[in-house]
Amino acid sequence: MLPSRARKLPLVLVALAAFGLPLVVTSATYLHILILLFLYAYLTTSWNLVGGFAGVLPLGHAAFVGIGAYTSTILSLQYGVSPWIGMFAGALIAAVVGVIIGLPTFKMRGAYFALATIAFAEGIRVMFENIDHLGPFQINGPRGLQIPPLKTGLVHFMFADKEPYYYIILVMLAAVLALTWAISRSKLGFYLVAGGEEPEAAQALGVNVARAKLAAMAMSSFLTALAGTFWAQFTLYIHPKSVMSLDISFEIAFIALIGGRGSIAGPVLGALLLRPVSDFSRIYFGDTLPGLHLIIFGVVLVLVMLFQPRGLQEPLTRFYQQAMRRLSGGREAAP
Amino acid sequence: MKVLEIKKVRRYFGGIKAVENFSLDVEEGAIVGLIGPNGAGKSTLFNCVAGVFPPTAGEIVFLGERTAGLKPWDLCRRGLARTFQIVKPFASRSVLYNVMVGAFAGTARRSEAERRALEVLERLRMVKIKDARAGNLTIADRKRLEIARALATRPRLLLLDEVMAGLRPTEVDEMVAIIKGLRDSGMTIFVIEHIMRAIMALSDRIAVLHFGSKIAEGTPQEIARDERVIKAYLGEDYGAA
Repeated sequence: MLPSRARKLPLVLVALAAFGLPLVVTSATYLHILILLFLYAYLTTSWNLVGGFAGVLPLGHAAFVGIGAYTSTILSLQYGVSPWIGMFAGALIAAVVGVIIGLPTFKMRGAYFALATIAFAEGIRVMFENIDHLGPFQINGPRGLQIPPLKTGLVHFMFADKEPYYYIILVMLAAVLALTWAISRSKLGFYLVAGGEEPEAAQALGVNVARAKLAAMAMSSFLTALAGTFWAQFTLYIHPKSVMSLDISFEIAFIALIGGRGSIAGPVLGALLLRPVSDFSRIYFGDTLPGLHLIIFGVVLVLVMLFQPRGLQEPLTRFYQQAMRRLSGGREAAP
Repeated sequence: MKVLEIKKVRRYFGGIKAVENFSLDVEEGAIVGLIGPNGAGKSTLFNCVAGVFPPTAGEIVFLGERTAGLKPWDLCRRGLARTFQIVKPFASRSVLYNVMVGAFAGTARRSEAERRALEVLERLRMVKIKDARAGNLTIADRKRLEIARALATRPRLLLLDEVMAGLRPTEVDEMVAIIKGLRDSGMTIFVIEHIMRAIMALSDRIAVLHFGSKIAEGTPQEIARDERVIKAYLGEDYGAA
């Protein structure tokens, strides 16, 4: 059931538009907003492997962002290792931590699982806030780490302009979307959905539900940590409140729930909708009404859960498919 | 050859003796029925056989291998599939998706899983509804979907837990024909059922469970005449008749 050429075309157009956007958008502010939008779309897509397909609600993914950011930054500051290498070192550590967190918590259901993941992530953040050294590694507690912008260029993962960051995160987003699409169609994808919906039935059909979830968790935390390194190189300053805060975990969950958990398009749609709300409310109401965006998120979430419990991707996908069918002369049957 | 040997199995839940000293052999290619009043311990026994929880005592041998310590998914991969009395479809997904989950037990390739799933749907005459959402099916179709998913794992032994409950008489006849067809293709079937007409028509042998103990075993004719079985089902007053 490969998408036909007619259905691929809009995807290609969107991708081309995304790659061409910096030619039109020259304002650094807007580019910054777009970069964060893609970053959150990327984070939510990575989260979706566990939170969407496996049907649980992890609320501690900020820990993996932090692990990625700190690992590559420490390796680069203290040992001169390129952040590109540190990126994957951080991802591997995050995957191990993800599995360690998953082992006991996947036995819990519903809110208990969500609470346990918050506890683990907060534990890691509080630890980072309260110690200056982790073994031989300098982490500076709440003051965090500053990356001096000495050497720019692709090798150093550091640029004077925003465009290169834009293209890097865009490529990362495209890659993670392709990966989740492939996983959703694979044996693992089927097993995650089955184990999430009816674990007992899934087990009787040969699914080792716990193992499938752990595999998803390892991949999800690995991918999330990659974005942590991007975050560090983009902002050049990390501290526990910035890259490990609960706000990140919550915003990911908001985006996923509103966009549509367990679908490929959901995280991107959610980020497209919510990121501008959060950025513009901070620009215009940052002084008078800080936190306004969270109230708006809450209201939107309630409305979406009431009227479209499977997220905004569902009506939009239906609309898209109808439009496609009309364009292709009604020859294509509904999938 | 014995596909399944249940040897002196007990299963207690705290002080409740759900199954007490139950033994039964299931021969290859047979349809064996398990009947008994509500709460007799039939589903508990199935759960022990399927690896959901271990027996408190006794042992179960499947295809010559003791099943102690094996989990449901291990047993599934060794050729044991089951349905659930209370159907558990993956409700948000299509019928085909549901059956493909089962088919993935035997292959990691998507195209092969899809081919196997369609084969099963063809056999159960469900191809028409392959794209329907499993949560929207009628009860008869949900019961058939339970069987379809189990069959897609390509089992040697199929445990059917009340797949006919809630079906209309014509649907029961259809289900009996389907199950007989499965046996004729070489599968061994162990079936719990409440509908006497169906179990009598289907089974080569029947075991009767009452308050956790086996009170009778034999051919359908022997069971229908058995004094203890009649008492268990109809009460003491009818026993003397």
